[in-house]
Amino acid sequence: MELFNENSKLASVILKDHSLLPVINRLGIKLGFGDETIKSICLEKGIDLNFFVETINVFHYEAYFPEKRLLDFPISMVIDYLIKTHQYYKNYLIPENDRLMELFLSASPGESSDNELVRKFYTKFKEEFVIHINFEEEEMFPYILELNAVIEDPSLRNQFNRKYPSFSITSFEKEHSNMDDKMDDLKNIIIKYLPPNYDQNRGNAFLYNLFMFEKDLKNHSRIEDHIMIPRVKQLEKLLVSHD
Amino acid sequence: MISSHNRSIVIIISSADIVLAGLAEILKGSLANEIISLHRGDEMIDYPKMDGNILVITTSDEYEKSNVFIRQILFSASHLGFLTLHLDTMTDYSNQTINLSDTTALVCYKVNEVLTSFLATNARETGTELTRREIEVLQLLTKGYANKEIADQLFVSTHTVISHRKNISEKTGIKSASGLTMYAILKKIIDVGDINQDDLI
Repeated sequence: MELFNENSKLASVILKDHSLLPVINRLGIKLGFGDETIKSICLEKGIDLNFFVETINVFHYEAYFPEKRLLDFPISMVIDYLIKTHQYYKNYLIPENDRLMELFLSASPGESSDNELVRKFYTKFKEEFVIHINFEEEEMFPYILELNAVIEDPSLRNQFNRKYPSFSITSFEKEHSNMDDKMDDLKNIIIKYLPPNYDQNRGNAFLYNLFMFEKDLKNHSRIEDHIMIPRVKQLEKLLVSHD
Repeated sequence: MISSHNRSIVIIISSADIVLAGLAEILKGSLANEIISLHRGDEMIDYPKMDGNILVITTSDEYEKSNVFIRQILFSASHLGFLTLHLDTMTDYSNQTINLSDTTALVCYKVNEVLTSFLATNARETGTELTRREIEVLQLLTKGYANKEIADQLFVSTHTVISHRKNISEKTGIKSASGLTMYAILKKIIDVGDINQDDLI
């Protein structure tokens, strides 16, 4: 699999992997970039070049792990990106998924009790998912930002220690796999086990969206696990070494 | 709601109230959805056209007297089975009978074996890829039992239960407990009425 670098033209990146469209949006880039390279666009928009390249590569190539030396970008940028991803889920992907599911179920009268099951399962999944991302935004991200602040300004250290006596990102790490499992289960149930009297096009539209959601979510988790967490661990080590 | 044809009903027939009350209490821990206690087989006249998977537990005397009549009355049952009740302490131990000396767990085990064999047949008809034992594990799982509890009920090790669960997930492609519950309902392995949907889905 080809990896992208700073000299890749962004247009050809998108033509090779269109699932990167929402990713570049979250990084602050809109379409209409002509033949510009990643490097020139990042310069122009004030985006950290390393972070941009690592993020699209992690997203594009599942087996890709960024090297440690490349993790040297501001953590606030990562958090900003992750929050934008959450907003994209909450404001667009989830409502779109709801809409497509309702269209699908209403066009598939069949056994209404089966539809009700699918709806319930999906709703529960969605609720858990929102709780999960809210937890990250309300608990985990503030911790990371404060950790970062204390490194930049050691006078905050006492305050930080009081708030997080045993500071460690591992205490915040929640299982992502559970969310992934449920997403998988929903797909499997619809594909393998739902009675076949449904509207095909609407069924497909719902599934396409689900697949897209799943891919985005998996990569979101990978960005947290392979970019954010290692970076936070670096910062924690740095703080200890200051003592 | 899914029709009642997957409900598991146990009918206990004995002239002794002690036996009726005792067995009904013991069977609360089994897979039975409903337990009906009767003094005589001919009281089945009050339960015409009952459907579902029905297991009748009765003494051999009562069985001789009324099994033909019970079979007639319960013609619309999805499955009908009988277990003989031995209240005589001298009777030899047998897996095919409920004996006075059986422990609570053993009575439930014997009853569950029959009920799941019914459900496994149903499930085969609706096309599930699971074995009878896996169906049994799945059922208990959807009732909210933990691995250890399932192991105790089935007289196997926790390790075996875990390996069954793994096989179920591999065959169905479904991993989460709520996903498996949904699978079991869609495949008519359990009845929606059996589970607390708010908890499990």
